[in-house]
Amino acid sequence: MHKFSWYEAGSVEDALAKVNATVSEIVGRKPNNSSVVFKAGGVDLMDLMKEGLVNPETIVSIKSIPGLDKIEYDDKAGLRIGANATLGEIENNEIIKEKYLALHQAVAEAGTAQLRNSATLGGNLAQRTRCWYFRSIHHVCFRKGSGVCYAQHGENEFHAIINNSKCASVHASSVSTALMAFKAKVVIMDSEGKKKEVEIGDFFVHPETDEKRENILKANELITEVVIPPVTTGTKSHYIKYVARESHDWALADVAVTLEMTGGKCRRAEIVIGAAAPVPLRLDEPAKALEGHSINEKLAKKAGDIAMRNATPLAKNAYKIPVFRAIIKRAILKAV
Amino acid sequence: MKKSKDKSVRYSKSGKGISRRGFLKGAGLTTVGTVALTGGILSDVHAEERTNREVLGPDAVVISLKINGRVRSLAVEPRTTLASALRDHLGLTGTKIGCDRGACSACTVWLDGKPVNSCLTLAVEAVGKEITTIEGLGSEENLHPVQEAFIEHDASQCGFCTPAMVMTAAHFLKHNPNPDLEEVKVALRGNFCRCGTHPNVFKATIAASKKM
Amino acid sequence: MDKKKIKFPYGIPGHNLSEVEREIPADEPPAWPVNEKLKYVGKPVKRYDALAKVTGRARFTADVRLPGMLFAKFLRSDTPHAKITRIDIRRAERIPGVYAIHIIKDIDGNYPDVKYAGQAIAAVAASSLEIATEAVKKIRVDYDYKPFVVDVEEAMKPDAPVVFEKEIEAKEDAGDVGVTYEGTKASGNLRGPTTSSFYGGPRGDLDKGFKEADMILEHTYRTQVQTHVPLETHGMVVDWKPDLVTVYASTQNTKNFRDEIADYFEIPRSQVRVISEFTGGGFGAKHSAGIYGPVAAILSKKTKRPVWLMLDRKEEHISAGNRPNSIHYLRIGVKKSGELTAIKQVSHGTAGVGLGAGVGRIVQAMYQCPNFTTAQYDVLTHAGPGAPWRAPGNVQGAFGLEQAVDEIAYKLRKDPLDYRDIIDKSEIRKLERERGAELFDWDKRKAPGSDKGVLKKGMGVAQSTWPRFVHLDSTAEVRLLNGGGIEIRSAVQDIGTGTKTILAQVVAEELGVPIDDVNVLIGDTFFPNGPPSGGSVVTGSITPAVRNAAYKAKMQLLEQVAGKWKSDVSNLRIADGIITDSKDSSKSMTFGDALKGMRTGQIIAVASRSDDYGGFKQEWGLAYGDLGSVQFAEVTVDTETGFVKVDRIVAAHSCGRPINTAQVKSQINGGVIQGMSYALYEYRAMDKETGMMMNTGVDNYKMPFAMEIPDIDIVLIEDYGGRSSTDAYGIGEPANIATAAAIANAVYNAIGVRIYELPLTPDKILKALKKI
Repeated sequence: MHKFSWYEAGSVEDALAKVNATVSEIVGRKPNNSSVVFKAGGVDLMDLMKEGLVNPETIVSIKSIPGLDKIEYDDKAGLRIGANATLGEIENNEIIKEKYLALHQAVAEAGTAQLRNSATLGGNLAQRTRCWYFRSIHHVCFRKGSGVCYAQHGENEFHAIINNSKCASVHASSVSTALMAFKAKVVIMDSEGKKKEVEIGDFFVHPETDEKRENILKANELITEVVIPPVTTGTKSHYIKYVARESHDWALADVAVTLEMTGGKCRRAEIVIGAAAPVPLRLDEPAKALEGHSINEKLAKKAGDIAMRNATPLAKNAYKIPVFRAIIKRAILKAV
Repeated sequence: MKKSKDKSVRYSKSGKGISRRGFLKGAGLTTVGTVALTGGILSDVHAEERTNREVLGPDAVVISLKINGRVRSLAVEPRTTLASALRDHLGLTGTKIGCDRGACSACTVWLDGKPVNSCLTLAVEAVGKEITTIEGLGSEENLHPVQEAFIEHDASQCGFCTPAMVMTAAHFLKHNPNPDLEEVKVALRGNFCRCGTHPNVFKATIAASKKM
Repeated sequence: MDKKKIKFPYGIPGHNLSEVEREIPADEPPAWPVNEKLKYVGKPVKRYDALAKVTGRARFTADVRLPGMLFAKFLRSDTPHAKITRIDIRRAERIPGVYAIHIIKDIDGNYPDVKYAGQAIAAVAASSLEIATEAVKKIRVDYDYKPFVVDVEEAMKPDAPVVFEKEIEAKEDAGDVGVTYEGTKASGNLRGPTTSSFYGGPRGDLDKGFKEADMILEHTYRTQVQTHVPLETHGMVVDWKPDLVTVYASTQNTKNFRDEIADYFEIPRSQVRVISEFTGGGFGAKHSAGIYGPVAAILSKKTKRPVWLMLDRKEEHISAGNRPNSIHYLRIGVKKSGELTAIKQVSHGTAGVGLGAGVGRIVQAMYQCPNFTTAQYDVLTHAGPGAPWRAPGNVQGAFGLEQAVDEIAYKLRKDPLDYRDIIDKSEIRKLERERGAELFDWDKRKAPGSDKGVLKKGMGVAQSTWPRFVHLDSTAEVRLLNGGGIEIRSAVQDIGTGTKTILAQVVAEELGVPIDDVNVLIGDTFFPNGPPSGGSVVTGSITPAVRNAAYKAKMQLLEQVAGKWKSDVSNLRIADGIITDSKDSSKSMTFGDALKGMRTGQIIAVASRSDDYGGFKQEWGLAYGDLGSVQFAEVTVDTETGFVKVDRIVAAHSCGRPINTAQVKSQINGGVIQGMSYALYEYRAMDKETGMMMNTGVDNYKMPFAMEIPDIDIVLIEDYGGRSSTDAYGIGEPANIATAAAIANAVYNAIGVRIYELPLTPDKILKALKKI
């Protein structure tokens, strides 16, 4: 890692006053670039720095900001998770396990226990893709502005199968798959102290919109918390992460399903998949297929089939199609 | 670790419908009202203690780290990782670097009682925290039960992953004193071993649980 | 030399144990009985260095910290094939804390051509690793880029970019004396073929054999490139002093490492001391000082300071060795009775810029077949060099052979185990099949693909052979110190296999003293030469040497005691640390008191591995007989997702007289787990467009962690042969050969479709099931 200065922020305002760039903005910039960026748990930032992909001049730690790691629940307002709450804290939260099972499952399967004790929710959402071309200092890929996606004809077994024609990277946060299924909102504060709540689906940016960023955060903005609406008593959820190895791994495919069940019928469904496209995908049509019906295997299978109708796999990742079909079906059946 | 537990217990006196078990885990929530539990109060205390906010580095600064109960002063650059501080500055080489990216967990140490990757933690971030390394887990005269069990069950081959494996297992058994094989696997699944010593590591961990 | 005739246990206890008479050198000890009757040998004695390992005290090379030590870092090429036109180090030199920069040049003073992405170009020594790493980035290299090829099949085409214009010589390979390759015969990127091994050349008449066949099986099997990933990377710390160069090395061959460094600098070998206290895994990749050894030494010499140079994980993956891949064609003729009539084998594999990509001898050696030919080609590619990996070639070979035999058995409607009884004449493997099958419940095996439902279970079996290699340049010294102290000294290293422990066991057994009284000082070339930790030679080579040395030392001590007691040495016995006289029960003395009463300050006895007993002269390190293994696998295949889970392995093995049953089992666990990893997870992903390895981490180069580990049950069969004073052999390699093939056969049994290519990823399973 290149040398940097270190500052521990005392408040969100303090942090925002210091920072002048997002991590994404400084990818590929040479050292001594006057950049000042945030660091929370640092799991992703440290990796990018060790690879030499980013070389910030100053790092502002936001871990030191008091109160940013709260986890609060209210039957009316729902769940609020501070950006600094670690994945480990979220994993061990009994209320989340009880009411937001899919989120608990997604968090518990993210990384290793060691990583979860450092990684924060905010950092997890803001992390960059694990596409190995993006992570390679030697490959100036589409996301680094070259217009060339090496994965299109290269080693693309872990890459996207949907919306993948320009850039086939997939978003690395499997936690966001679950958050999206619960219609979470990301609370963002800017340097003028203004707060906005953004639907998590609108938080992520597809590379065809802007190849250099994966989310809407600007340099003068910070995630302060994630808000998840309350769930009705009939709401069931389930998350499945499909991986090469179960111990810990990046998702090859993952899915989160929430079902609002009344009288044995599905009133509302949310199905979100990750590792399928450059951003987590909400599957509206498959979800609609469930609504108004009682869930059975045939219907669940139909949802999975619909989901994969428009897939455009690359040379080495067509296996993801049957995998998604299977795990979507299974998650729906498990959720009921 | 201890502090936050005290705080949780303290808070539970005024809470309603709070699961005590949840509190003791340091992560409980009440379903009534809005309660903050995961460290907000502790952070406040921490913040009050710190007065002069200043930018450190990029050159070396003197910091104090509390390692295995002892305060050690050392000069590090902000970019110095905790792993490097331990190994290169303080000679505590029981903590290993395997991948340097948080994927093999050979660098596992406890920070405030929780296992973390010291390769992804900066030394400056560990200031004010309790750091426990393999050197502080048990002494050769007074081994931790996990260490004893690892010896007994031949749970090391080359031994490079062993200190971290021991640290992870020891932490796990604190919270789950009577695990089955599946729970042991889940607990140790972050730690890489290339020699394939896992079966004996599992046996040793279960055996240690019976001694603790 | 004087000889004596004595009787040794021979055969398998509980099966066919008898005795055999051998004529052995007169100064070697009497035969040990079977393990059951011994105190330390054959027992699960605690690992000698376990305490150091569990407390973090064990000092690996990466942990060495010397006063004034500098940290070094390589600059590596970011292109696979190029001529270097200019290297500018001025900006790097100016960084405070940089002490020296070494630019690698060939013998004529030119920059060597870049032949793979990640090839070392230069190295920086600085006061910290951070500074060295920063300085490396400031070195500018100008390249004249050239076309390259990283894919083995592309490289075989006539118009492929050529890796080496000139013929290259097969470099000395300390890891496995059995892999034969004739590297100088060249055509484009092809080298070879190798057509023979130490088992001989082609045999019989292939055409005749195929004519006699009632059925011919013909397939091409493919295996992937696998990298070693020892948790401690390659590296060393060099402390260059004018009169002595001290090298702390992460190595599985201290002697070879010393010789390479000394020879490189043209200094006497006595002026280089290599120390390897603990080595964090090697698996075959750490036999040589490589390029990093000399570079670290040059930097230390230049700066007059100790220099630490360990590779990082990425460098380790790319440049420090791998198991070559294989395209392995087999054509096998079979009679209705099952007898094999002919085997034609042709293989191509790439060890990148290195050689040694054959598929071993297993097809040539394991089964009865009168007509056989092999042609094994190396294909050069612009990729990191291969290195020996637990049973080099044979793991690739076994994947093809053992699936073929399984397929033949199914085609003949025979149980794969029964079928092997027809074609396999090995007594030990027959027993391993029987005992393994019983423990595994092989009888519960179902017809291929017959499980209903999405999850299908399957059972498979595969077996292996591995030659008994020994290394005659294996010497141990045993010292008895006046006043108390028993020491073992040898340069042999312990890379996690448990060498220290077995040495202590053998000496404690021989001397009749408590094992805790024995100190083991090894991994230091100031001590007598030890064998390399490769070819599974250590146990079979060094344990007879150390037992013989202990015996000689003991006899010298007992002579002195007998003199005092006015008795004859042949009457003296030692047990539990007490010396007694079998003819005079009033005489008794502790071993410690005997040491105190020694006439001299010490007794030193040295012994080397001698030829096998029974008149068998060592050729190419080859000893009597072979080591068999049979492994059984049970898997569950998710037919919707292609996910394969190994549920259970039963591994039936023999290694002569096991010295430490716990450590033998640990190594078998390791071989099985690495074999499973090879079967299901690992492969090097090379980007064809840029010639770079993409999965250089521990996260994206997939290997098993705790959740992936199956239940492993081990059948260990003692197999006595009266071949040396310990009659022991290694297990490291045999443990790794059959696993992947057994898993592949189990997958076939589960889904009813055979897959001829590793690893068995979801992609391949789903394709086999026609779901893609």
